[in-house]
Amino acid sequence: MADYEKELLEHIGEQEYKYGFTSDIDTELIRKGLDEEVVRLISAKKGEPAWMTERRVAAFRHWLTLAPPTWAHLDIPPIDFQEIIYYAAPKPQKRVESMDEVDPELKRTFDKLGIPLEEQMALAGVAVDAVMDSVSVKTTFKETLAAQGIIFCSISEALRDYPELVRKYLGSVVPYTDNFYAALNAAVFSDGSFCYIPKGVRCPMELSTYFRINAAGTGQFERTLIVADEGAYVSYLEGCTAPRRDENQLHAAVVEIVVERDAEVKYSTVQNWYPGDKEGRGGVYNFVTKRGICRENARLSWTQVETGSAITWKYPSCVLAGDNAVGEFYSVAMTNHFQQADTGTKMIHIGRNTRSRIVSKGISAGCSQNAYRGLVRVGKGADGARNYSQCDSLLIGDKCGAHTFPVVDCRNRSAVVEHEATTSKISDDQLFYCRQRGLSAEDAVGLIVNGYAREVLAKLPMEFAVEAQKLLALSLEGSIG
Amino acid sequence: MAALTDTIRRFAAVEGDSLRVAAAASQPFVAVDPQQLRVEVAAGASAQLVVVHEKPLASSLSLLLERDARLQVTEIFLAGVSAETEAVQASGSNCCITAVLLAGADASYRIDLDGAHAENSLGGLFLVDDNEHCVLKLRTNHRVADCSSDSSVKGIAGGSAVGEFRGLVYVAPDAQRTDARQQSRNILLSDTARIVAEPQLEIYADDVRCSHGATVGQIDAEAILYMRQRGLSLAQARRLQIEGFAGDIVRRCGIGELGEALMSAVARKMGNM
Amino acid sequence: MLSVKNLHASVDGKEILRGIDLEVRAGEVHAIMGPNGSGKSTLASVLAGNEKFTVTEGSATFQGQDLLAMSIEDRARAGVFLGFQYPVEIPGVTMANFMKLAVSERRKFLGEEPLSAAGFLKLMREKSAVVELDSKLTSRAVNEGFSGGEKKKNEIFQMAMLDPQLAILDETDSGLDIDALRIVATGVTKLHTPQNATVVITHYQRLLDYIVPDVVHVLYKGRIIHTGDKSLALKLEKEGYDWLINDYKE
Repeated sequence: MADYEKELLEHIGEQEYKYGFTSDIDTELIRKGLDEEVVRLISAKKGEPAWMTERRVAAFRHWLTLAPPTWAHLDIPPIDFQEIIYYAAPKPQKRVESMDEVDPELKRTFDKLGIPLEEQMALAGVAVDAVMDSVSVKTTFKETLAAQGIIFCSISEALRDYPELVRKYLGSVVPYTDNFYAALNAAVFSDGSFCYIPKGVRCPMELSTYFRINAAGTGQFERTLIVADEGAYVSYLEGCTAPRRDENQLHAAVVEIVVERDAEVKYSTVQNWYPGDKEGRGGVYNFVTKRGICRENARLSWTQVETGSAITWKYPSCVLAGDNAVGEFYSVAMTNHFQQADTGTKMIHIGRNTRSRIVSKGISAGCSQNAYRGLVRVGKGADGARNYSQCDSLLIGDKCGAHTFPVVDCRNRSAVVEHEATTSKISDDQLFYCRQRGLSAEDAVGLIVNGYAREVLAKLPMEFAVEAQKLLALSLEGSIG
Repeated sequence: MAALTDTIRRFAAVEGDSLRVAAAASQPFVAVDPQQLRVEVAAGASAQLVVVHEKPLASSLSLLLERDARLQVTEIFLAGVSAETEAVQASGSNCCITAVLLAGADASYRIDLDGAHAENSLGGLFLVDDNEHCVLKLRTNHRVADCSSDSSVKGIAGGSAVGEFRGLVYVAPDAQRTDARQQSRNILLSDTARIVAEPQLEIYADDVRCSHGATVGQIDAEAILYMRQRGLSLAQARRLQIEGFAGDIVRRCGIGELGEALMSAVARKMGNM
Repeated sequence: MLSVKNLHASVDGKEILRGIDLEVRAGEVHAIMGPNGSGKSTLASVLAGNEKFTVTEGSATFQGQDLLAMSIEDRARAGVFLGFQYPVEIPGVTMANFMKLAVSERRKFLGEEPLSAAGFLKLMREKSAVVELDSKLTSRAVNEGFSGGEKKKNEIFQMAMLDPQLAILDETDSGLDIDALRIVATGVTKLHTPQNATVVITHYQRLLDYIVPDVVHVLYKGRIIHTGDKSLALKLEKEGYDWLINDYKE
């Protein structure tokens, strides 16, 4: 019996004894609210090794000492953390037998986004065996990846099958002490993805394709860990252009990326959680901590298209620890109606000749508030560091807000840091010109917005860029009169 | 500083803690180490004001510009003061502020553009060395439509000094057709100095032209090489570069002799860095 | 084809068009001339439906339909093309993409099948040749970084792509050197057929050396004060407008 299995069994035994719980794995829910007992219970239910349980507990204890951050340009209603149920085993989704049973509104959106039929079926929860060939497609993916030694599985599986890898890297980039929501996530994370690319391996496919077909069942407190070992390469896509309805209001995910020497990771996100209705009722709070560390000659590129969520609080960041490391952040954040977004990045230059590039395109419509917040820090030893930031805001209508909060902190005299920002609106002349060529006003706005965001959209994997374009246009519906 | 002191001695000293200018003032006013000062420029009137901080005291300056008033303010920081300046501008007024920080001071500016077609321009320069720490804060409030503001702040930090610029352009709802620009340009002269720049925008109106930028860099090595090839010493070349960098801010105060005196004060401080 | 009757229009409460009457039939080329500020560009904008202007009186029908009741894009889809005096830049939006949308809307309106990708590209190549437009420009963003001449050629290129019934060209000759002028004018002439009509707005005669008008109108202070044949343009070139407008000065 492997050590970790022993540990696991001892741990469960201990818990049963100590807390008098029967570890009834079939139980789907635990009581609402959060205390140390609940944290241990989550760990037990997931059958985690003892060190993981202790980490969760340490994170929880630290979380108790923290208060939710208030510095963002966001109006966040108070959240009662004792009203949340922190563990629910993934319930089987309600199965439908064919697309005819799918909500016509959802289908209309799928069609507008141009999502292929088989993926529509998978996403809408049509019984998997009804989805043309998808099982065999999945199997083929798995085989291709395994042949290269690539590990791609859930965090739970990884804790079971590759505990040493997880132990080495989990929390190494985003420690639980990082912030309120990262601490909460470290204590109660439900599941997420683990990806390991071995030395010198170029992942042969966009992990997006695989991921999208497997998209069902991401949790409220998602944890993602990606490790690209020396010289490895992977392009990873999180999320989906299809609207994701979720009853959970609070989402506090953590994404950690380790980019070892000479390795490269591209991480793309399309975030389209439920944004609430036109009056600003409901919608997801998306409070995410995303960070990667780059060793020597490594490169990490974040690309995000954010259109969903009632409130977004996220700053995918790069710690450029090794010499010649490169960090990039390309972002389109669109808010409409009463959505609020405070998003941006941090580029921490530590190594010599490290370079970073930030391109942020904010689009505010309706009564929404959209802020870019960024930090470029150049440490003493970061000789020859370079940063270039371009942060543009586009306003549609006079009831919204667009804000830019950059911080440049430079402690090296050989570094060059440049930040530029502009604010514009869609001009009447542009609209008139497009409509004079026969485009409807809505199409014209969609086209102009896509042109404005083009530099960022071009960074997305090809097939996704097309969907993201349509998504931007779709998210603007009703924003012009 | 002798040239500077001599220059300002020729200006009209402000008596007491308030001053009202009702017409076009013929010569600049000067206030040395004012702890509390209120300056009003009446409708259509114009004035020049020079404020010099020589002692490390707290200072509060309040500037009121009535309709179509014009005011040029030059504030010179020679000591580690904590100074707050507030300018309230009525419609059509024009306020031009020059702030030169030659010490680890904390200077905070708040500009309220309260009437249409009010214009504000602010030029700031900070030059810090050794263990000095200076902060230049600027909040420009576009509270009504059709105003313009243009700020340019340049910073140079050497030794183990810290220079900070914290700027914010705020555009209120309905402050349409705002034209606001804010630039922060900085140079680090040593490996232990630090520059922090926060040029921020908070915008609640859509028909606006707002831009901001920030850069941190170093002296252009190629230009230095070029000048040395023409026979200048390294120190001369560096000084020329720094003067080129800072000169437009220092000389914009609109009082020729004061600009020159300030420039030589800047050059002297530079020479020791 | 186009019938404008007693058209009045204003902007910000100021009346610019003060009773325009204009009849344009298929196969005709009309030139509208007049000194600066007489309302020429406003007339073009109003016919295209620019919402900046308010029509206060009068009517305009296009192929029997009430033009003024139609949205901007429906007028365009129905075949009214406006060549802009100052074509606007649309950053990031490629010409190809833009034209693909515009052509497909026009075809949809006409009940034609959408073009295949290959068919569209062929059309782009063909039509860009008409105005000697560098084909590289079609992969660039709309008008972004185009020279003045390229912008104007680009307008005529789009006109060729959309094959309108009525083309209104607003000061298409302004800012063009003689070569560009020749290319643009030749393009327009090539596109002219007995089925369509062209209204050329200009205040120089030189364009009319290339695009020979059937009818020349003089617009002044929001009214057409004189109409003649192509010899009128030559006379205006020689003698200016004074002999016409003296009667109208206030």
